[in-house]
Amino acid sequence: MSRAIQVRVSESIVRTIHVEDGVASPLEMLPILPPARMAELLARELEALGFVRDGSTCKRIEPDGIEVTVDLEAATVAVKLGAGARIAESIEQTVQVGIESKDHVEASLRGRMVRDLESRVADQTADLRRAVTAQLEAKLADLKIELDAAIGRATVGALTEKASQLGQIESTHEDEAGNVTIRVRL
Amino acid sequence: MHDEAVVAASEHDLVMLARGLIEGHATEVVAILCRTRALPPAISTTCAELMRETLAHVWPALWRRGGPAGTQPGSRIWERYPPVGLTFSAATLQLLRWLVATPLAVSRPIPPPLAAAPLTIGDQVMVYFALEAAAGTSAQAAIAAQPLVRAAPLAWLGFAELFGDSRAPELGSLCHGAGAIVVESLTGELARHWRAVELTKRAIVDPNALIALGAAQDAALGGFLAACDHHRRRDLAAFVIDAAAPLLQRGIAPMPARLDPTAVLASRGAARVAAGALLRGVMTWAGWDQAHRGVRFIDDDYAVAQRLLARFEAIRATGAARAAAWLADLAALVPTTVLPSAATVVPP
Repeated sequence: MSRAIQVRVSESIVRTIHVEDGVASPLEMLPILPPARMAELLARELEALGFVRDGSTCKRIEPDGIEVTVDLEAATVAVKLGAGARIAESIEQTVQVGIESKDHVEASLRGRMVRDLESRVADQTADLRRAVTAQLEAKLADLKIELDAAIGRATVGALTEKASQLGQIESTHEDEAGNVTIRVRL
Repeated sequence: MHDEAVVAASEHDLVMLARGLIEGHATEVVAILCRTRALPPAISTTCAELMRETLAHVWPALWRRGGPAGTQPGSRIWERYPPVGLTFSAATLQLLRWLVATPLAVSRPIPPPLAAAPLTIGDQVMVYFALEAAAGTSAQAAIAAQPLVRAAPLAWLGFAELFGDSRAPELGSLCHGAGAIVVESLTGELARHWRAVELTKRAIVDPNALIALGAAQDAALGGFLAACDHHRRRDLAAFVIDAAAPLLQRGIAPMPARLDPTAVLASRGAARVAAGALLRGVMTWAGWDQAHRGVRFIDDDYAVAQRLLARFEAIRATGAARAAAWLADLAALVPTTVLPSAATVVPP
């Protein structure tokens, strides 16, 4: 008859995780002026919205960490958000076994616990990733409105500049719907 | 005479499978695919003769599937082209033997692969028929997974959705000689199939599945349109117009309405962009249409340009503008297209 002993196994895991999500989209810019000039006009509008220009890109980091980057040459916008977390998990289990199967049970138990810990880390990573995605998604509608408005103003600026090349601007009128009428004497 | 020909049971299956594929008898084909037979390493001369006779019916079978036909003399495809150039190599027999010998009704055991081989246009037609006959069964995916099938340009053109993100073969062989006649014969079928696949995009849940589908369609359509342009056979790509026109007219955008909301935004964004493969084909046609408008009466290509202008009338500038708007919406940060329920969409 074998002697029963108590096997206590503890495992812990410490991981630093980083998740990121993002989306990119083309900007709808009408080719009223040469691309370089259209980019200049858009950059000016973006700088007024708090974007910082660095060469051919304009970037703004929101208070919540969302990074918005406009590539003026490619006419694209990229929005991304990253988040990190330190995960510390531990498990301790005790089982009663016969002394002859101690090593086998301990190894088996330890393997199961490691898998369990990995699974917990994966779950928490997935939760964090989903939170990042949800946060980003909630921001996109407002951002699109803001960028569309900036593009609209840049387009009006381009039209005005184009009109001034054609003749002398007599008046510029913008109605409540945002329609702009530019009267030019040729 | 051959009604009395005696062949082995496995050879009987081989001949019946070839006949079923060519005549489009899907039920008989699937019945043969579901069972398995051990095949001897070679076929008898009687079987070879029967196979030769069977394959001679491929042209009429293609013609029956209908290319563009009209009432004018010479408007039917068999009046425009002589039945020449459709050759078959050992790859056709290799395909038929594999289909007969492999138990495709069950997923296990994994069938031995059908190795890639140089394919004639006739071989490609048989591959196309096999994929078509197996539609709606698990056998279709098993057939599409074979290296020999993945190397068939006609299979890509007809069933791009089965090939995921693997590399498309060169599609130029379909734009001249017998390949062009085959594509012209299948124009109606290709249009119907591409339109049907377009409607499935609205119900796809997994973004990665839609990304793979879009990548395969982009590779097939992009490669084929470029080849048509290169070989001055833009008319062969008319199935793109026929596939897209009813959808554009009815406002049925390929907007995936049911993408997994828990998937990463990057995947969902890429999936929406991928969904626009057929629309990108329409935009290529719109670019061609503009070029055709610039062809003058005194130019050599005037008659061809006029025919192609008439072909694009089904879409016109309004349809092209709608396609461009849908593509912009698919790529937008926040899509705005209002969708009816995917379940309510009836194929036009």
